Amino acid sequence: MSDVYPEPGSFRDPSGRIYYSGDRVYRSVTSHGAEDFVFVRESGLIDRLSDAGKLIGTKSVSADVLGEYGKDAAFVVEHQRVPFISYPYEWPFPALKAAALLHLDIQLEALEAGISLSDATAYNIQFMGSRPVFIDLLSFRKYRDGEIWAGHRQFCEQFLNPLLLRAKIGLSYNAWYRGSPEGIKASDVRKLLRWRSKLSLNVLAHVVAQAAFQQSSISKTDSKRSLATAKLPQQSYKRMLSKLRTWIETLEPADTGKTVWQDYANTNSYNSDEAAEKRAFIGKFAAATKPAVLWDMGCNTGDYADAALKGGAGYCVGFDADHGALERAFSRAGRDELNFLPLLLDGANPSPSQGWNQRERGGLSARAKADGIIALAFVHHIAIGCNVPLDDVVSWLIGLAPQGAIEFVPKQDPMVQELLALREDIFPDYTEETFLASVRKRAEIVEEKTVTGSGRKLVWFRRHDGPDSDGC
Amino acid sequence: MKFRRFNAAIAMLVFALVLGVDSPAFAYLDPGTGSIMLQLLLGGVAGALMILKLYWYRIKSFFVRDEKPAEKESKDP
Repeated sequence: MSDVYPEPGSFRDPSGRIYYSGDRVYRSVTSHGAEDFVFVRESGLIDRLSDAGKLIGTKSVSADVLGEYGKDAAFVVEHQRVPFISYPYEWPFPALKAAALLHLDIQLEALEAGISLSDATAYNIQFMGSRPVFIDLLSFRKYRDGEIWAGHRQFCEQFLNPLLLRAKIGLSYNAWYRGSPEGIKASDVRKLLRWRSKLSLNVLAHVVAQAAFQQSSISKTDSKRSLATAKLPQQSYKRMLSKLRTWIETLEPADTGKTVWQDYANTNSYNSDEAAEKRAFIGKFAAATKPAVLWDMGCNTGDYADAALKGGAGYCVGFDADHGALERAFSRAGRDELNFLPLLLDGANPSPSQGWNQRERGGLSARAKADGIIALAFVHHIAIGCNVPLDDVVSWLIGLAPQGAIEFVPKQDPMVQELLALREDIFPDYTEETFLASVRKRAEIVEEKTVTGSGRKLVWFRRHDGPDSDGC
Repeated sequence: MKFRRFNAAIAMLVFALVLGVDSPAFAYLDPGTGSIMLQLLLGGVAGALMILKLYWYRIKSFFVRDEKPAEKESKDP
């Protein structure tokens, strides 16, 4: 098949590789991974985890589907498609925590079946709404008696240490993690933790002791080789996993804790007339366009994502730069069982393509296109907050999806006045006329509606040149 | 330096005796020395003894200030 191509980020594990063909996702299993794959498949673990929704849906297919790429494959499987691939540096705290717990649960369940995991990378977990799903079938392998937890350091760097930054210091890990996609080192977290945090046995073991051992003089190759034969009794292995699980379950963002949701009922603006009108507009847009995947730019706590999903959107990916809002949005998605995944993203600086060859982790535009977008109270943050010309902001948004709803917040609105309170107004073109002209250059306006006394306007657009046009 | 190499050799011997001879089960992922040593420590007495052995020269040099040069030379593998 000529349209088959490999996933550029799938190269680390010699046991197999991910391929795409149209909308389908395949995984090859090489001779290197074949023995373990057969063992794991026959153990029934894959079916059990898939049935419980913990592992991505998988079925065997003929190697022919991969054409030339399938020639050396011992097996080929097809995976259920994830609506939107996200990366741990985009996950809000409760998402990273849920992913960490899933990883540990899967390890514990696998060990019972005589199976271990060859790694502990957070990139092996994806989300279906707020539900984490393990996607790497080839991380499973036959447990060898006495083997150590090979992925422990990786687990700490990619799950535990970022969580500790937020839970113990109140520091958001996302920017650091994005700049260091392999994770955050124990030695760095050790320097930042307060001494009283270090009194915890868990911190002492997984952060302080691990960092100290790593930095100690045991660096000679001979000594390292001797460590390569180190053994860990299975009971100790399980105890490590279950103790970490118990500990991580108690972690909450510092200074917010579990009060987030108590606060939510008082702060949401659901019931105001303006919000109700906006919800109705978004619901109508979603009902008419039925986008399979909708992006909500500036999703806040997810009020309008919820309206879109109730209206008829299939799946919603929300983006926001506010950690607190995202944490609430994520909790809400779980509580209300919404097909909604809120992610951290600064509209003026979206996730870049990075990693090996700058293709290992796709940037936002390289990863996917949306079927629809909504951008409510978003444009002014980019146009005025970040000085991006209004026409460029509109061009970018319309380039993201063939249809959508954008809100224009005029200059006299208190929210824009707040942005301008301490600075010169250098935005003579920031007007409704410029905004509408920018939209009309690229799209047909299906419907527009003024929703507040200050003149906020909602515009439902349908792009002139169809879904394949490129943005800016 | 030579004394360290001697210690590494001893360490391997202790491993072989205490933990059984085994070929290294390498993962495609480097587990990191810090993580392995922590796991040895959490894994019980045998592992803890191993850690002690790996650090033995440091402990010893803390108490014994000057090693006899001749002894170091003679043990050089």
